[in-house]
Amino acid sequence: MKFSLLSLITLVSLTSLQAQGPLRPTGPRPNTAPKPIGTLVRPQIAAPMQPIINTSSLLKVNVTYQSYNLQIPWQKETSSGRRGLGVVLPNNRVLVTAQMVADATYIELELPDSGQKITAKVQAVDYEANLAVLAPNSPAKEKAFFSNLIGMEVDTSARIGDALSVWQTGRVGELIVTPMRISKVMTQGYVVENAAFLVYEATGIIRSEANSFTLPIVKGGKLAALLLRYDSKNQVATLLPAPIIDHFLKDVTDGKYDGFPSLGVEFQITLDEQFREYLGLKGDAPGVFINNVMKGGSADKAGVKKGDIMISINGSSIDSRGDYQDPQFGALSVSHIVRGRSFIGDDVEIRVIREGKEIVLKSQLTRKNVEDYLVLPYLFDKGPKYVLSGGLLFQELTRSYLNSFGNEQQGGPILRLQRIANTPDEFEKDGRKKIVFLSAILPTSSTQGYERMNGQVVEEVNGKKITEIADVAAALKEPKDGLHIVKLREFPFILHLDALKVEKDNLQLLNGMFRVSELTRLE
Amino acid sequence: MKLVVFFVTACVSFHFHVFSMNPRLLLPAFALLCGVPFSSHAADEPPSASQAIDLTTGEWESVVNIDCSVLVPDYREPWNAGQPSGGSGTGFLIGKNRFLTNAHVVSNATKLVIRTTNDPQPHPARIVFVAHDCDLAIIEAEDGTAFEKLKPLTFGGIPKLNTELIAVGYPIGGDRISVTRGVVSRIDFRPFSHTQVDSHLAIQVDAAINPGNSGGPVLQNGKVVGVAFQGFNGRVAQNVGYIIPVPVIQRFLKDVSDGTYDHYVDIAITDFPIENSAQKKALKVGDDGVGVMVADVEPAGSVGNILKRGDVLLSMDGNPVLNNGLIRFEGELMDMNEVVERKFAGDKLKLAYQRDGKKEEIDVELKRFDPYVKLGSQYNQRPRFLVYAGLVFQPMDRDLMDAHQIHDAAANYLFDNYLTDKLYVERPEPVIMTSVLTDEVNTHLAIYAHSVVDEINGMKIKSLKDVKEALAKKDKNESFVVVKLLEKGRPLVLKRDLAEAAHPRIMQTYNITEDAYLGDE
Repeated sequence: MKFSLLSLITLVSLTSLQAQGPLRPTGPRPNTAPKPIGTLVRPQIAAPMQPIINTSSLLKVNVTYQSYNLQIPWQKETSSGRRGLGVVLPNNRVLVTAQMVADATYIELELPDSGQKITAKVQAVDYEANLAVLAPNSPAKEKAFFSNLIGMEVDTSARIGDALSVWQTGRVGELIVTPMRISKVMTQGYVVENAAFLVYEATGIIRSEANSFTLPIVKGGKLAALLLRYDSKNQVATLLPAPIIDHFLKDVTDGKYDGFPSLGVEFQITLDEQFREYLGLKGDAPGVFINNVMKGGSADKAGVKKGDIMISINGSSIDSRGDYQDPQFGALSVSHIVRGRSFIGDDVEIRVIREGKEIVLKSQLTRKNVEDYLVLPYLFDKGPKYVLSGGLLFQELTRSYLNSFGNEQQGGPILRLQRIANTPDEFEKDGRKKIVFLSAILPTSSTQGYERMNGQVVEEVNGKKITEIADVAAALKEPKDGLHIVKLREFPFILHLDALKVEKDNLQLLNGMFRVSELTRLE
Repeated sequence: MKLVVFFVTACVSFHFHVFSMNPRLLLPAFALLCGVPFSSHAADEPPSASQAIDLTTGEWESVVNIDCSVLVPDYREPWNAGQPSGGSGTGFLIGKNRFLTNAHVVSNATKLVIRTTNDPQPHPARIVFVAHDCDLAIIEAEDGTAFEKLKPLTFGGIPKLNTELIAVGYPIGGDRISVTRGVVSRIDFRPFSHTQVDSHLAIQVDAAINPGNSGGPVLQNGKVVGVAFQGFNGRVAQNVGYIIPVPVIQRFLKDVSDGTYDHYVDIAITDFPIENSAQKKALKVGDDGVGVMVADVEPAGSVGNILKRGDVLLSMDGNPVLNNGLIRFEGELMDMNEVVERKFAGDKLKLAYQRDGKKEEIDVELKRFDPYVKLGSQYNQRPRFLVYAGLVFQPMDRDLMDAHQIHDAAANYLFDNYLTDKLYVERPEPVIMTSVLTDEVNTHLAIYAHSVVDEINGMKIKSLKDVKEALAKKDKNESFVVVKLLEKGRPLVLKRDLAEAAHPRIMQTYNITEDAYLGDE
């Protein structure tokens, strides 16, 4: 089995809780039943639950978002809304999940009881850790708006078996509290596919309310987690835990956000006795088999090599499953030592066995920036890069583009591009920074005869090697003998276009039926 | 033969196998009540709607029902004989004790029986020649005396559009001979669904052609103008049936006239139409509409060392190739491959092409292009396999991919791009570890089933036979057998002594009588 610190994890989405519609009152009306079932009204919260319930740390967050059309990159999709809760932090900041504000065009904060609103902006966001800090837009209104709100503290002490409570707000801002219990702690991907983080898995019932997106989970009045997803059939909630929230907030404090470090290795478990013997691992000696080291990652910088047996990180021994003993959570994937317990720039010490000898490798932790991926793992808040020329639409390949086709079998081109995304090494060796491909061909006079093609990787344009989309834009400025020559990696391998016709068609594309707003987006 | 793998092609056509339909309805055939005999005199006239057929004349005895018992190969348990099954189709007499039918009617046959309309006797039969690539076969009765007096059917030519024809056979819906009528709707190059990779000339008709019609003659003026062979599922299209036209039939008959079937030959290039003005200018093509771009050339094909990408093909045997890849042939515009279609292994083809504006001419010898065969369905072949300590190795082909429902990324890539990315050059016969018959010795390896085998004991695996050789080989560390898989993070390792001790035990437990079948020879 392949375990990977960079690995992809399929996500179960939580549709029942992503209520986007208007507020709908639930439960009996106040005049017929003063105490709605399942609701805890403030004066009555006394004994059985927790001593303090701080409703004044919750806000409603309303977001309008609009993503780019990944297949027609100059267009945007229909805008839509998300309603969730935000946790008030000290200094009038608000914590939400990154999912909440992805592709946001408008963000407002709303006081649950009075309904008063104030607009806000994203101060820091990390789509891998799925967290964002919001700040109000208007300093003038900020003070009054936050005057009755109290910043919530983060409590990282939760363990397996701990009782937590989920906070929701009702129609008029009353607090709805439901118990949950942590049953499991592990690592998995949040909403994007390229990084695994710590999660708590908790069991309990979460009711569907308006603004149920990204609910806070509380322990003793302090923030213990945010709800990541909920499987209502099995009543299992996956929680984004305080240690990750705390890490994110600490990183944000200095004003410069660095992100979570990663080790940058792929490893194989070593439970198979014959494999262990082959590797020279004796008895129950610790260690996992490193089968891939990401170029430029922390492990690569430390000198870890493919084929090494990694036996410890920062003094924590790694067992044959790739787990270490975490003092708080017990057996946990070694990725958490790096990603959850360390910061970028921290020293790391990796012990490996190479050719029978134990060696100590040292380095400083780093991370692979999203922009450095050959195929971007995700794309939020900005449009896909493209060049449209004469009707040929060149794009840079992203995971988001591939995902936009859903799970339907798209046959040849999409499968082929997916494979490139899964095995980037050979293309990186080739000197490519990005994969540029023909994503569509609009019917123009210059593309006569080429209309039915798409999905070909672009190798050269006018004799210039293409390593990223900007190269295409530059190369198209230099046609030869009035012709553009586009060389492709796949059938039909070569396309010719008439440079003059391309110029004419470009004007048509801007002003004609396609109503293309811009012929290129390079940033 | 034209390669159709570049823009593949969910094949919606189906084969006309009929599985025995019970209960039998003994309805009187209308034809018996009508008096006019269908004689050869009448057949010279275009058949009209009122013309009745008298089966008692024996005129139709040479259109026979073929009942076929088959064993469908089991690619999941390749050591088993397969699943017994059966079907029926139609055939017709074309010479002394020679019946023409479809290859798919007799594929994987274990027993064949011929029946005629009026003879109560079943006649055991056997295959003489079978050509899967054009879905045709010739069978003979083991004892041909019963058919000696029958008159073989004779062949006509390519019928014209909108002319009437009749399909005769034993389709679904009854046991006696059936006649349906329609017109020629279209003449075109079509994929043949039997192998799923071959395309040849086919004629589309709107006569009802149903399962069981397969292999039956389609007649115009009493002459055979085609063999009914495929259609669409009723949910896809109605009144669309396809028949194999006479040129394809005659090519088959000529090919087998020397006693063996040599298969189609291929030019093995992919053309791309020249429609774009810039393309014309760059390729220096004139305005006469002649010349098609050579977009891809298979290195292992007939012109692998001659043509190059970007060449412009101007003519075949002096016959100009148009910008869209069509050629005027026997009065019709047809795919240029039709010229190659009519040829045989070893025949010469005169090509004129243009490279960098310079005209060249060359005679090429045509040969079969093998790699694509794996991408198609195969028949009358025992699945090949090798079992070692519970690891089952099988060569990659379409039947295997379908039977095992393989979704491994590397395996699917290899299969889908075997031709397009020329993967056959490096790995002529990719081997897949299709399953792990679990035992103490291999229990940790079960999750690697469906992976492509890259190397064993340091030896690159290019065919199933290599697996056998490589397993016997001792690499650096001779106490281990090391299997490297494509795109899996770790090698599979088995201690040789443990594996060899486990092997007979696993064979017995899983009821495998022989540990390998590597093919005849």
